[in-house]
Amino acid sequence: MKISLNWIKKYVDVSVTDDELVRLIGARLVEVEGVIDEAEKYNNIYIVEVTSAEKIPDTHLTLCQINVGKKETVQVVCGAPNVREGMLAAWIAPGAIVPASIHEDTPFVIGKRKMLNKYESNGMLAGADELDFGDDHSGIVEIEPGTAKPGDLLKDVFELDDKILEIENKSLTHRPDCFGIIGFSREVAGILGESFNYEYQDTTLRLGGELKVAILNTNICERYTAVVLQKHGEIKKKYLSWMDTILSKSGMKPISPIVDVTNYLMLLTGQPLHAFDYDKFVKVGGKMEPEINVRLARDKEKIVLLDDTEVILNENDIVICSGEKPVALAGAMGGKSTMIDENTRNIIIESATFSLYNLRKTQMAHGIFSEAITRFTKGQPPYQCLKVAEAAAEMLKDGYIVTAAVDSRKKIEKPIEVKISVNEINALLGTFYEKKLIVKTLTNVGFKVENSGDALKVIAPLWRTDIHIKEDIIEEVGRLLGYDNIQPILPLHSTADSDEMLSMKTKVRDIMASFGANEVLTYSFVSGKLLEKAGLNLKQSYRIINSISPELQYIRQSIVPSLLDKAYMNQKLPVDKFAVFEINKTYTKKNTVDQEGVPFEDMKMGFVLAERKGQGTAYYKAKLYAEKLLEALNLRVDFLPLSGESAAISAERLPFEPRRSALVSICGLDSDKPGEVIGVVGEFKNSVRRNFKLGDYLAGFELDFAKIVEHYQPTKKVDIRPVEDKRDLTIETDKSYNELLKEIKKVLEKNNLEAEIYPLAIYQPETIKHISVHLEFKEKINDTLMQELEKIK
Amino acid sequence: MDELTKLKQELKNLNAEYAKIKDIPAEKRGEFGRELNAKKMALLDKIMKAEEAQFDAEVKPLDITAPCAPNEPLPELYSTLMGSRHPLMVELDRVIEIYKLMGFTAVESRQLDDEYHMFDSLNFAKEHPARDGYDTFRTEEGFIPPAHTSTMQNRVLNRFKHKLDEGKEIAVVVPGRVYRNEDVDATHEHTFYQCEGVYVSPDCNMGQMLGILREFFEKYYGQKLNIRTQPGYFPFTEPSLEFMIEKPKSLGGKKGDFLEMLGCGMIHPNVLKMAGIDPQKYHGFAWGGGIDRLVMLRYGLKDVRHFEAANLNFLRNFK
Repeated sequence: MKISLNWIKKYVDVSVTDDELVRLIGARLVEVEGVIDEAEKYNNIYIVEVTSAEKIPDTHLTLCQINVGKKETVQVVCGAPNVREGMLAAWIAPGAIVPASIHEDTPFVIGKRKMLNKYESNGMLAGADELDFGDDHSGIVEIEPGTAKPGDLLKDVFELDDKILEIENKSLTHRPDCFGIIGFSREVAGILGESFNYEYQDTTLRLGGELKVAILNTNICERYTAVVLQKHGEIKKKYLSWMDTILSKSGMKPISPIVDVTNYLMLLTGQPLHAFDYDKFVKVGGKMEPEINVRLARDKEKIVLLDDTEVILNENDIVICSGEKPVALAGAMGGKSTMIDENTRNIIIESATFSLYNLRKTQMAHGIFSEAITRFTKGQPPYQCLKVAEAAAEMLKDGYIVTAAVDSRKKIEKPIEVKISVNEINALLGTFYEKKLIVKTLTNVGFKVENSGDALKVIAPLWRTDIHIKEDIIEEVGRLLGYDNIQPILPLHSTADSDEMLSMKTKVRDIMASFGANEVLTYSFVSGKLLEKAGLNLKQSYRIINSISPELQYIRQSIVPSLLDKAYMNQKLPVDKFAVFEINKTYTKKNTVDQEGVPFEDMKMGFVLAERKGQGTAYYKAKLYAEKLLEALNLRVDFLPLSGESAAISAERLPFEPRRSALVSICGLDSDKPGEVIGVVGEFKNSVRRNFKLGDYLAGFELDFAKIVEHYQPTKKVDIRPVEDKRDLTIETDKSYNELLKEIKKVLEKNNLEAEIYPLAIYQPETIKHISVHLEFKEKINDTLMQELEKIK
Repeated sequence: MDELTKLKQELKNLNAEYAKIKDIPAEKRGEFGRELNAKKMALLDKIMKAEEAQFDAEVKPLDITAPCAPNEPLPELYSTLMGSRHPLMVELDRVIEIYKLMGFTAVESRQLDDEYHMFDSLNFAKEHPARDGYDTFRTEEGFIPPAHTSTMQNRVLNRFKHKLDEGKEIAVVVPGRVYRNEDVDATHEHTFYQCEGVYVSPDCNMGQMLGILREFFEKYYGQKLNIRTQPGYFPFTEPSLEFMIEKPKSLGGKKGDFLEMLGCGMIHPNVLKMAGIDPQKYHGFAWGGGIDRLVMLRYGLKDVRHFEAANLNFLRNFK
């Protein structure tokens, strides 16, 4: 929304600089997105009198002498058909910028020219379009005699040295009153600590006459008022007016006297108006007199709008009908069949309010974003409908007389009262405002305040439909007096609880980075294709119905597939080797919902490592990462065989190749008994690798992070005795590594010994495997133990 | 005969069936063709799966308990020099750390929620235009990947209201990932991070809210800061404000250069009521702001798309 500061100043005595005013509006009313300074826009443009005008033979041009307020007249050639001797016109002096081009990359500068090789022309006589007052290019603008004299600056006469505020509409969603200059100015007065008084003139409108209105559905239209205006004279749009300039500055443009009046009043009051051609309206309805019916549209009903588009309506749209036939899409746009044109004689002016909920849907369904619907969808209050209709009639009285007026409303709204105390206001704001100041602040913007002692009864004005509770009053006081005047202080309060999940994430992030791994973040939304590539079941993923693209349609069930996707991208960069991880939430339909009725969520840690030219078996590196990470958290784990595929298998296991992967299991206290499985580590299925276009050296893991948190041991028992003996041991065996360790431990146990066992190498020249380990003892051992150990097969 | 050979034979037989179409009466040909096509599609799908299974079967099993494969060296972790932590997560940790020092308990936000927590419990009237302003995603079931961390307000109020009975306050921050249906460009992401704050006590006020927020940003930037506010509108706070800080010197800020950091306000009595907290006895304030922009400002980043791209050439700069 664009708001002219000069227009505000017509209603408010502004005692501060413009910059300060803009700052205060920003701090106390609404976000000001920008300020367009128009101070330079109309420089060197003067009002002039055409003292002689001679047609140049065989051309459309006129050779003019103009009085620019100096002794000497100036010669200018003009191509407009309406130039004539004696008129007052606007003259863009040589060297001045044509205002309409001021925001172009190279603004157009008028100079001194030779026309037809012989007529000198200085500057130009300007049309409305060149002055940026609409699109009219049919002739030059004419200034009303007596309102200015030759040599006056155009910007002085029409108050064009202005600043235009660009307002962020969203931050006024709850303030329909501020979508009119009166409402906005009232707030500005309140902010400056001044009272504001704008009264509509007493109504002289007599209801009655030949016009019927019926509202056929409930809750669609709180109030519908209309006046019928009969033409009795000509309003000839002849002179450039202040209204033309203000419409333009507010982002609209002058069109015709009737439309201009409706637009002007909307900008002034916030109440949109619509004008119908009376005679067309009656004809469409097929009756002798107009019969306005407001109703919900029927499904698939059609209407052709003013802009020639045909709209197929739905049962949410509200339509204005002449008898049975829709003639306007209420609140959004008028219909073609009753639009006013140059032949229009009599008119109906509508001033009404409609359900903002219906209109919001209409706006979305049909993509109509007019100035009118922008205001209606904030919920314009019904209190001023009839008065604004009357104001329109008054402005058009030179050409029209009122022959009928109607006011159909569901109920007379009662003012809202809120009881509050001065103490309550100060307590919530943290201020020490006195009662007198609070009362004045509220009354300045139209509230009535009755008070006895500390207690206040605050009565909201009819335009403040957003006021309901104490906090709304507190907001008014805090805001108008300036939140920036509140003293920031720190409360004294108790200590925080720790959050184990967040602390663990920090810990794991630090450990993994020290292991040379890279933390990444990837989207929670993935494509169906990605899930399928990883071998996951699409049906177990929650699907977004309004996704941005098919790439972002499903909520992921596990982290690893996203990492595989990014692994390919990183190899392409190229990054030759890397280990990436992400800790984030996943959801699957299989987990159903919790007691709140929302899906159970899992915190997972995904890990993928890949090397372009990697040699050897990637599984063991991924396993090492899992082992070392968990060791750093004082967790010992076993690696258990991954059983074959089954329907019950959880999503994170699906991409992994069962013959080259293991379940990660927390060691139970009893070493023979497997503990709880917390995830899976391994290489991926051939098909998965192929689908992601990744090479052989590829492995990863996915761990249930909540289980890590659950099992985490902040400290572990340490044996501080020094190492007394170290031995290396090589055994020929066909056992697995783990089975061999168990055998070694059995022998140690039998001898009442304990040792830390470290792997050294696995050597397999042909069929026989040799496993070498390093043993560290906290006591001296004898050679017979070693002989016994060497006997293990 | 293995499964795949059998399926391929079946396909051959099925293809032969197509020849019969000329013997079928014209009016039934369509139906015949459709049935045949459906069978063929199902069969092709089976063949693809069987081929995949055969492909996957070509692998040798490993000793999953061993430290390495036979004749291979023991694996090693990569050099610490290669490692990195995600700048967004590191920054979020710093934010949480400062709030913790100030006595705020941290609770991570959900990433899939419902209409009740996202809107109803936050005093959004049904069909209120403000609901549209959040550009929310929805799943088939009507669940919502939340558009703001305020989706956790009702939960944390409920979870910590026992503290009020114990004569303590509710002081919680909620970091988390949120989503908006927006086109992605250098300054917009559909996936980003926010941090919410919630504070409830018998006598808290707006001065305290401004005090806590100023203290946070002064700690975060390690310098004194000027703050500024602007009226805002959120259904779940009344009054509502936008909170700004003067751009810190460390970020190249000049006097009068203000940055919008977050939205805040006094918790609407209806929000307290819906969490079973008596608004006659207690007041609260809440705030929420984006984390991505804090990180961009701190590191001088111009493109928000870096964060979720997982590009190691970018991420490895953040040790």
